[in-house]
Amino acid sequence: MIIRKADDETEASMMPTQELIDSMMAYNGEMIKAGVMLDGAGLQASSKGARISFAKGKPTVTDGPFTEAKELVAGFSIIEVESKAEAIEWMKRWPQLDGHGNVQLELRQLFSPEDFGEEAIAQFDDLAKRKK
Amino acid sequence: MRFMMIIKADKATEAGVMPTEELLVAMGKYNEELIKAGALLAADGLQPSAKGARVRHAGGKSTVIDGPFAETKELIAGFWLIQVKSKDEAVEWAKRVPFDPNGPSATSDGIGEIELRQLYEAADFTRELYPSDEVQQMFSAEGDFRRQTNS
Repeated sequence: MIIRKADDETEASMMPTQELIDSMMAYNGEMIKAGVMLDGAGLQASSKGARISFAKGKPTVTDGPFTEAKELVAGFSIIEVESKAEAIEWMKRWPQLDGHGNVQLELRQLFSPEDFGEEAIAQFDDLAKRKK
Repeated sequence: MRFMMIIKADKATEAGVMPTEELLVAMGKYNEELIKAGALLAADGLQPSAKGARVRHAGGKSTVIDGPFAETKELIAGFWLIQVKSKDEAVEWAKRVPFDPNGPSATSDGIGEIELRQLYEAADFTRELYPSDEVQQMFSAEGDFRRQTNS
């Protein structure tokens, strides 16, 4: 998962320029052609979101916005690659126009069903089948 | 409308502690309910940040920093993508995420946090904002694709 961190502009709901959309389209197109890209989306500003905190199992809802822009997520891409190095190569090629050339990306590996043992795999398979 | 429900990281997730069987079963049941309601689009757990990296772009240069990252509270441990009719409905789902009240579960000490964030939809990229046919065609194709794959 490539996480594009938020900044003041994403939190202010500034929409990307046409040029940035074009270069993101070209970038995503290359990842799709390489069979790497599984999903991706942009997140609306945190003002449209909420946090639900649990203490001893009891949920408390706090509506956004949240002030720590640097800690927030502004978008993500889910990619499937052979190695971490390959993922980093893709991240280095992130469109330079984004964030006016200043952008912070975070790469995180996803768990696979195999990480949870046989019983969990059977359950995941079952869920996947029912989803279809 | 689509929302992302984000589970924040904690010491246990960052240490690579696997969830208990009890919690895993509770999560399985919760996911099944999301599926039955036609709300679940995707869900995944993230490995500790030690297996990840950050790439910082600044002034045309990129710098790679390998994990782990110290600010546990800022990190993500997992997420769901859900399709719902309203933010209220998303909040209701978020309230029902299984947390072990006696902790530690997915979280430390029975304290956990879900962050709910709305996703941009193809319809947000209007022709008014983006007059080019190419952009409009791309977003309409994405909308069609999502309708097909999510139904």
